[in-house]
Amino acid sequence: MSRIGVFVCHCGENISRTVDVEQVAKAAGEIPGVAYSCDYKYMCSDPGQTLLKKAVAEHKLDGVLVAACSPRMHEKTFRKAAEAAGLNPYLCEMANIREHCSWVHEDRGMATAKAKDIVKLMVERVRKGKSLAPITVPVTKRALVIGGGIAGIQAALDIADAGHKVVLVERDPSIGGHMAQLSETFPTLDCSQCIMTPKMVDVANHPNITLFTYSEIEKVEGYIGNFQVTVKHKARSVDEKKCTGCGVCMTKCPKKKIPNEFDQGHGMRPAIYVPFPQAVPNTPVIDRENCTMFQSGKCGVCAKVCGPGAVDYEQKDTFTVEDVGAIVVATGFKLYTIDRKPEGSPIQGYGEFGYGTIPDIIDGMTFERLASASGPTGGKILRPSDGKEPKQVVFIQCVGSRAREKGISYCSKVCCMYTAKHTMLYHHKVHDGQAYVFFMDARTPGKGYDEFWRRAVEEEEAVYIRGMVSRMYQRGDKIVVMGSDIQVGTQVEIEADLVVLATAVQPQDGADLLAQKLGISYDKYNFYSEAHAKLKPVECATAGIYLAGACQGPKDIPDTVSQASAAAAKVMTLFAKDQLERDPVVAKVNEKYCVGCFACKKVCAYGAIEEKEIRDRQGNLVKKVAYVNPGVCGGCGTCQATCPSKSIELDGYTDEQIMAMIEAL
Amino acid sequence: MKNKLMHLSNETMNVGFVKKVEALSGSSVRRCFQCGKCSAGCPMSAFMEHPPNRVVRLLQLGQGQRILAGRSIWYCASCETCTTRCPNKVDLAAIMDALRKLSWDADGPSKESYVQLANRLFIENIRTYGRQYELRLGAAFNMKSGQFLKDLMLGPKLISKGKLKMFHSKNKNIADIEGIFKRIEEMRKKGEAL
Repeated sequence: MSRIGVFVCHCGENISRTVDVEQVAKAAGEIPGVAYSCDYKYMCSDPGQTLLKKAVAEHKLDGVLVAACSPRMHEKTFRKAAEAAGLNPYLCEMANIREHCSWVHEDRGMATAKAKDIVKLMVERVRKGKSLAPITVPVTKRALVIGGGIAGIQAALDIADAGHKVVLVERDPSIGGHMAQLSETFPTLDCSQCIMTPKMVDVANHPNITLFTYSEIEKVEGYIGNFQVTVKHKARSVDEKKCTGCGVCMTKCPKKKIPNEFDQGHGMRPAIYVPFPQAVPNTPVIDRENCTMFQSGKCGVCAKVCGPGAVDYEQKDTFTVEDVGAIVVATGFKLYTIDRKPEGSPIQGYGEFGYGTIPDIIDGMTFERLASASGPTGGKILRPSDGKEPKQVVFIQCVGSRAREKGISYCSKVCCMYTAKHTMLYHHKVHDGQAYVFFMDARTPGKGYDEFWRRAVEEEEAVYIRGMVSRMYQRGDKIVVMGSDIQVGTQVEIEADLVVLATAVQPQDGADLLAQKLGISYDKYNFYSEAHAKLKPVECATAGIYLAGACQGPKDIPDTVSQASAAAAKVMTLFAKDQLERDPVVAKVNEKYCVGCFACKKVCAYGAIEEKEIRDRQGNLVKKVAYVNPGVCGGCGTCQATCPSKSIELDGYTDEQIMAMIEAL
Repeated sequence: MKNKLMHLSNETMNVGFVKKVEALSGSSVRRCFQCGKCSAGCPMSAFMEHPPNRVVRLLQLGQGQRILAGRSIWYCASCETCTTRCPNKVDLAAIMDALRKLSWDADGPSKESYVQLANRLFIENIRTYGRQYELRLGAAFNMKSGQFLKDLMLGPKLISKGKLKMFHSKNKNIADIEGIFKRIEEMRKKGEAL
């Protein structure tokens, strides 16, 4: 006969308002095997916990049930208390009579009856419960950071400064990301390159950081503390060890008219190139698709002029396997384009703006490059079509963003601020020009942000027009912008020389594929999902993987840097221990009954199930069975529900426990 | 006029007019972020085709002519509720004053509104008699506005109750009052007053 203690909580008035807690405690006391029951105002308070501990000792309880709030709220609290009283913590359970009962019902009599039922069935679960011991897993104190933008750089530097080894993987030939492309940054208007490039150099020089550029994640295996990550090093065609970064190859390359991605296609670069002069590493790559040598086999100029003989046309992609204990994902964003989208695409283009066929309708990042001193125009605002200085510039906010019809309903968060900045930059550079901004709301929550926006309006003479643009078309060398001012209540028409669209922030291309490799979840837009929107904003639901920057959702630089440092702190917390303790609520396989169908393997969201061979003494294969890696198992129970032979069970939620609960009703 | 398509360009935006309004009123127009609090509390808002917030908005877009073409500025009672409550320190009452002054300077009495006519006759009476002479005010207003019979039947009633005097009585300090008018005219010449 078991000796279970039931403690019913009032939760102030949260529960006792609709549930007669005294009656529930009384009814619980009458369940066979319940040795003690009581009710108390706040079970989670210190006196409440003391009450529990005393009762365990006095009544020699072998199981504890606290009927209170959700286990998500206080399970840990009460399990600790039970442990302090000498009980195995996993013999302490919670019956949720708040969220599942008092909060959602009004009728006191019925709610009380339901609370009694919940307690009754949870008593059965406690009765069938087993003592469990926490799982320990070793931790490899080396971190992987994916993405070399400001988020990845900040996270890598923080982890490396804490004394841990870091591998930083970047897909492009240089680190720096989008921040390196920006001209000046809000709300202080400091030069982006000036604050970014020192950090890039720090990464390159840090003894704890291994930098892999022009590399991608191929495969991720393992679990928290023990990941094995295969990194693909794309063939650079230039030997990084030999190259001195002198740049002769770039000046001699005969193919010089390739649109430079770094300048949003508005500047030109050769086929062997570094994306921008401050690139880290300063080692060029050969763009094989545009290189005459690779396309027709005739040229080879770069190899001839290269003093150290670093150019290597034969170079192949290579792979390395990196052992790491934690992963920070910082893959960033791309900008939405108004181009016509393929048939059936959930995201639509802007036909009313000409689907991107009007050359003087550009996006915000292109404007950044035009305004940047290192950009294709040397910092002069000149429009792409004829190189003239635009005198009337129209900025349009919320292009793609907050446009359900185009398939994106979220706010891109940074556009209000960068458009205000753009109007200022324009006003500083073209004194007789006029900037107009069509906007729906100016969203400026941030330190010094609203003041910055007001400065653009009040001092820098930007004309903000609340209302959207219905259509734009080319008339002569002007773009006719048909909008409205909803404050005046009229239509507005502007003949613009240049139009700048604040296009939506979208996750980077291939974000979903990377998420599948990592086994992390993502939303319908491919932004990565955090474990909890408020309380776990940098952790993924998959243990040991953390998020930083715009890959999780649109973010400005201050927010990105904060999150990157937070992710780094989480990694350091993980690395502070040699061994990792995990909740033992994991699935176990009964090898005797397992038939090796691996239905469980197919449904496991965590990739925790492996195939295990069972051999006899002679080494002959008897059968293959499923094996659950306790380090990876998330304890969701999907395998248990799927297993046709009922040979896989989740500790703490065994079939026996569940059946007993059902029978108790 | 109110809903007519608005072309915006350096040419169509009359920034000079806005600068004048700002100088006369001593209040920034750009500072307004269109929260609508002025219109929310304005007792005359319901009668205006451009409620107070929109008057400022039109100024922000350099569309002074749209304001002057309407009667909103003449419906303003100068109660200053807008100025008192504005969260962003826009002195809308002063802006309204400035607009009325500029409207007067530009085209004299407004064709759209009799308010301006009434105001002018009121002031003229004060200058002539040193106090108000209502009968003359009413008669002159009806003559000049072309509404000869307007409120005519109220006259005998008001006279019988002693509310309307048949004959005027001049203020004995009429010379001092004339002095006030002279001084204002001098100040206007120097640009010290509206």
